[in-house]
Amino acid sequence: MKNILFILSSILLIVLIIFFSRKEETVGFSTDVKPILNKHCISCHGGVKKNGGFSLLFENEAFAVNDSGFPAIIKGNPNQSELIKRVLEHDPELRMPYNRPALTQDEIDILKKWIKQGAKWGEHWAYVPVQEAKIPQTVKGFEKQIGESEVHILDKFVFQNLMSQGLKPSHEADHMQLLRRLSLDITGLPPSKDLVDKWKADQINYEHLVDHLLDSPTYGEKWASWWLDLARYADTKGYERDQSRTIWPYRDWVIKAFNQDMPFDQFTMEQLAGDLLPNPTHDQFIATAFHRNTMNNDEGGTEDEEFRVAAVLDRVNTTYEVWQSTTMACVQCHSHPYDPFVHEDFFRSMAFFNNSRDEDTTDEEPKIRLYETDDELKLHQIRSWLQENAVSEQTKAYMEFLTFQEPKYHAHLATDFINGELIDTKWLGLWPKGSAYLKNVYTGGADRMLLNYWSSYDGTKMTIRKGGPQGDVLSEFTIDRTGAITRSIPFKPIFEKVDLYIHAENPGLAAQQSTAAISWFAFISEIPGDQSDAHQKVKDSFHDLLNNRPLTVPIMIENPSFMQRQTHVFERGNWMLHGEEVQAITPESLNPWKEEWPQNRMGFGLWLTDKDNPLTARTAVNRIWDQLFGSGLVSTLEDMGTQSDPPVQKELLDYLAWELMHTHQWSLKALIKEIVLSHTYRQASSISPQQMAMDPENRWLARGPRFRLGAETIRDQALFVAGLLSDKMYGKSVMPPQPDGIWQTVYSGEYWKESEGEDRFRRGIYTYLKRTSPYPSFISFDAGSREVCQGKRIVTNTPLQALVTLNDPVFFEAAVALGKKMLDVNPTDPGKAIAEVYEQMLFQKLSLEKQKALVRLYEEALDEFDYEKSPLLPSDLPLAQRKSWGAYTVVGNALLNLDEFLTKP
Amino acid sequence: MKGLDKLLSELELQQLQKQTRRHFLMDCVSKMGGLALFPLLNACQPDSGKHSLNLSERDLNPLASLAPPFIPKVKSVIYLHMAGAPSQLELFDYKPELVKYNNQPCPESMLEGRKFAFIRGVPNLLGPVAKFQQHGQSGAWVSDFLPHFSKIVDEVAFLKAVHTDQFNHGPAQLFMHTGSPRLGRPSLGSWVTYGLGTENQNLPGFVVLTSGGKTPDAGKSVWGSGFLPSVYQGVQCRSKGDPVLYLNDPEGINRSLKGKIINAINQVNKEEFAAVGDPEILARINQYEMAYRMQLDVPEIMNINDEPDYIHELYGTLPGEEAFANNCLLARKLVEKGVRFVQLYDWGWDSHGTEKDTALDLGFRNKCREIDRPMSALILDLKQRGLLEDTLVVWGGEFGRTPMQENREGKTMGFKGRDHHVDAFTMWMAGGGIKKGTSFGKTDDLGFSGIEGRVSVHDIHATILHLLGFDHEKFTYDFQGRPFRLTDVEGEIIKEILV
Repeated sequence: MKNILFILSSILLIVLIIFFSRKEETVGFSTDVKPILNKHCISCHGGVKKNGGFSLLFENEAFAVNDSGFPAIIKGNPNQSELIKRVLEHDPELRMPYNRPALTQDEIDILKKWIKQGAKWGEHWAYVPVQEAKIPQTVKGFEKQIGESEVHILDKFVFQNLMSQGLKPSHEADHMQLLRRLSLDITGLPPSKDLVDKWKADQINYEHLVDHLLDSPTYGEKWASWWLDLARYADTKGYERDQSRTIWPYRDWVIKAFNQDMPFDQFTMEQLAGDLLPNPTHDQFIATAFHRNTMNNDEGGTEDEEFRVAAVLDRVNTTYEVWQSTTMACVQCHSHPYDPFVHEDFFRSMAFFNNSRDEDTTDEEPKIRLYETDDELKLHQIRSWLQENAVSEQTKAYMEFLTFQEPKYHAHLATDFINGELIDTKWLGLWPKGSAYLKNVYTGGADRMLLNYWSSYDGTKMTIRKGGPQGDVLSEFTIDRTGAITRSIPFKPIFEKVDLYIHAENPGLAAQQSTAAISWFAFISEIPGDQSDAHQKVKDSFHDLLNNRPLTVPIMIENPSFMQRQTHVFERGNWMLHGEEVQAITPESLNPWKEEWPQNRMGFGLWLTDKDNPLTARTAVNRIWDQLFGSGLVSTLEDMGTQSDPPVQKELLDYLAWELMHTHQWSLKALIKEIVLSHTYRQASSISPQQMAMDPENRWLARGPRFRLGAETIRDQALFVAGLLSDKMYGKSVMPPQPDGIWQTVYSGEYWKESEGEDRFRRGIYTYLKRTSPYPSFISFDAGSREVCQGKRIVTNTPLQALVTLNDPVFFEAAVALGKKMLDVNPTDPGKAIAEVYEQMLFQKLSLEKQKALVRLYEEALDEFDYEKSPLLPSDLPLAQRKSWGAYTVVGNALLNLDEFLTKP
Repeated sequence: MKGLDKLLSELELQQLQKQTRRHFLMDCVSKMGGLALFPLLNACQPDSGKHSLNLSERDLNPLASLAPPFIPKVKSVIYLHMAGAPSQLELFDYKPELVKYNNQPCPESMLEGRKFAFIRGVPNLLGPVAKFQQHGQSGAWVSDFLPHFSKIVDEVAFLKAVHTDQFNHGPAQLFMHTGSPRLGRPSLGSWVTYGLGTENQNLPGFVVLTSGGKTPDAGKSVWGSGFLPSVYQGVQCRSKGDPVLYLNDPEGINRSLKGKIINAINQVNKEEFAAVGDPEILARINQYEMAYRMQLDVPEIMNINDEPDYIHELYGTLPGEEAFANNCLLARKLVEKGVRFVQLYDWGWDSHGTEKDTALDLGFRNKCREIDRPMSALILDLKQRGLLEDTLVVWGGEFGRTPMQENREGKTMGFKGRDHHVDAFTMWMAGGGIKKGTSFGKTDDLGFSGIEGRVSVHDIHATILHLLGFDHEKFTYDFQGRPFRLTDVEGEIIKEILV
């Protein structure tokens, strides 16, 4: 009875406190008002629709005079405000929200109070720059709970929240489980034997362990997987033909950048605008392949301009998604329905990205040419010659042309065909007496034309004239049968922009037979010099370098001034309906643009990594937190705007964002280290019934993270514990065995050529990814096809996953290797052998009950496993050993499928 | 194995018991100890405890069967997609005027402001290559390229004026199957599987079968799950090799041993659940059980050899080959067993007339022979089993073909072919809720544009979802801070073809 009285009086007290405190409180716009407006009002009075001329998206709109001739909100006077009148209205024709359930009394009260208090507009937290956080007091008693005298700052934030929820932190995870968790999180692999021994013997403390793992080259391989999902990296171009592209040097760049701990602002800048940095290095060019991971459509009959635009739109969307957790795609067609972005914002941002040279051509130009050995020497020779014989501008033009062959005019620009065609909508093919125009061309007074083409026929006479069939002859030459070639042809210098009339004649050919297939035109002056042998040699070297085939990687290159494109708003998002022209500028609702920034991708990168940008650091922290905890501090990773889940750990998010920028100077390793050193990370992950009841999703972090490993890690770990995993890094993507008949792409002669030797067992990150047909076991475990930016892999749990780890030959091969390990431990005492190998895999003792189940399986398998049929067991072993190995293999197969093996502990 | 079976049937029973409310409560995790899971789960009556595990059926099994929000007309869909886009002018859309103007230059007014994939300049009109006749009570026009199909026209509702806005295969196929020409959206089948789960837990909920030697131009994204969890993507079942990837046991392991392996895995997992209390482990136990049953049931259902001769005869199957006929028969078997969405892709319909294989009177005619008997048999077979009233069969391509003969890039072509055409093409539907023997929509005299009853891709989607018991405007998934729909902001149900 006493108890009940106590409870009742407590409840009364709480109610009173709440009642009084609420009366006193100022209504918060972002926390109280905005959610109501978003829920009930904004779908008709927001970005897409502005019924009655009234919108609640922006402050100026909300207080503006609407179609009624009055404003809907009168500051300080709720009863005079039409907004309040309408939500209280009884006439269903007038009551708002129209045709929807009425607002609750609580909601109406909040709105009234807000207007009464002056209707102060506030910004959503995500659009306010990150402030230095106030560090909470340590929660008394929790030190004891976690057995530590000093509480990490990060933990103070978490503990404060836990206390408010009536939760307590969990104790630290088991010593060895913590090692496994940390190693899987940082390197994507279990710890090495050496590290296990040291850790077991307490020869290394936790912080050193963290440092050691962060310094391992495997760290970069693990974290690159995460970034490559965002970068939509794949080994093919996508769309119908989905042919190979060579872009793996970008993947290697990402791995190296992580391993070198390139600061995140630099990491950002090099990928968005490496080509615009002063004297860019090859690596900085390769970094820009980030935005060349867009798809390229080679399907016959497709218009390149349409898909160039599609790629640029994708770049805008991806950039905002990756760095700002903001969905710009909405704004492509109309103003954002919930977030403060207007329709034009999309195209103003697009203007930053709309002037790169790539044009969805099948050759994916521009590409950086990575010369090696002899070619590199020739390049040096040409450079030195030019430095002595040419003006620096000319030297620059030559070196740039040799590095990425720009600027050039692609054949798809040809128009006004007579007796000619754009072959497969790609290459200029003129038939006998054929002609076409290349319009608005600037040759800069060059005296050579570089022509890239191939032809099956000899003796085509080509004439290029200025302006039309009667114009001055600018160039005359003959095309003979040849494979693809870049040829330097004399050209009459002209200095103004001009339409080129291109004519072909070859009486030997039938009508409608293409004389040649021309890919592109470029204009450059002859290498100056004295006509000596040495000069000729340099000219020959230039010709060689144009035609040799070094490794090439698609990159971003900016248009020269004479090729600049204008950017227009697309009406309703339709790329063919041009609205007003726009200039490159970032959205007003985010951090201000600084005058000194160049109005190009580099300026955009400076804007993104400016410490006043409210979203970049928060987004990076949120994504990294998600990698470690399985859920972000804001759980909707793809959206941090006003529709995001309210972040329960907002202060912590801001604290870490501030740390990342100011304390860690954008070092991701330092950020990761700070997180994994916390008690919050080190907690045991077992779930008590109380925790399950109060916080099933672990939003309050009263326990450590426990979730299934990612696709690549599942395969890597299996190969690692079996002793099969190769530690070879970098290079061309590999093709480990996959079932026959997976690749059936139309119009492509490419096929899955199984890799040999250790390449069969490389880490998953090196597996060839064909977009229309990705590696099947990765797909089963939620990896994507990387056609578009993927901010999060939703973890699923399906029978098809079980089939992979049970039956995929790669996993069975690992089981055989594990079987051998058990055989080597003890051929006759399965209890011992299984326990030992289990411990090697999972770093914990095998419990008696589990051991029983596995030993029983061993005994059953001794009878039932048909070792004769298994090609993986050597046939020359004594019978007893073969049987035993076979049975151990079956146990290995089971071990690889245990939940605890597939899950981060 | 028995214990686990029991465990799972108990779980299923529980799920039935709490059908009115999705969550079930249990307070027994703490009592678990080292005991077996099932009696305890059974002991946990929904209301007995104060701690809610908040597990929905979907937590244990993301494919758990759900009822649609409205009373559905059909339970399953079989969607026959002719990848490459067949010519409506040689099959269903009879245009006598086009016969008259065969080989005449196309009126320039028709070309103004139009874009084609390959046609340049002024092409000639091309009369139908096939001969047409009216069939059945409904008097539907069908050409002599489809003699079997012409006998079942009274089961079918034709849509004669479908239009799209994508004239390249990849984007058009994506549009037709995901509602968007760009990547990243879930396919129709994924939406349906997300909304309904699967009735038969031993089979995937969304099965894809391909024929014609290639997968569709747009790749696997046409049955991808987009932003939905990957569990809802289509599962490609194959007539050659493992019917589902990794379905076959490794060499040396038989069924009985596989059962024991799974038993051991699940025993250990139960121990683990007792120790750490993560409900995800319960889901995994469930998934391993399903995998085991799937290994048994999928090969059985994918094996057509046991079908009686008259069925083989009816469909014109080609056992052992990857054939559209086999896939039609498989589609029937799959819906019979409770699969919700069966998607067939037959590749090879891109009849440009650049070579024999793409000539309307040669390659195209052969393709027609390949599908005529099987697709007609599918309707008849579903009907004779009483399945047609619960099943929707949809037939179509990603766009249509031009009334003009293709003049690729201005060339005269060696064979008769037609270019891609977005303005008007024919699709048909049959089955539950469909008005039999109807034809909706009309094209102009040359078959160029729809002049009556035009329907869009979104309209088709809205109609299919309607028949399955969904309001396409309310069936949404939250992503990037807003609700997404298959039909975006468009789509009208095509009432004219519904009963």
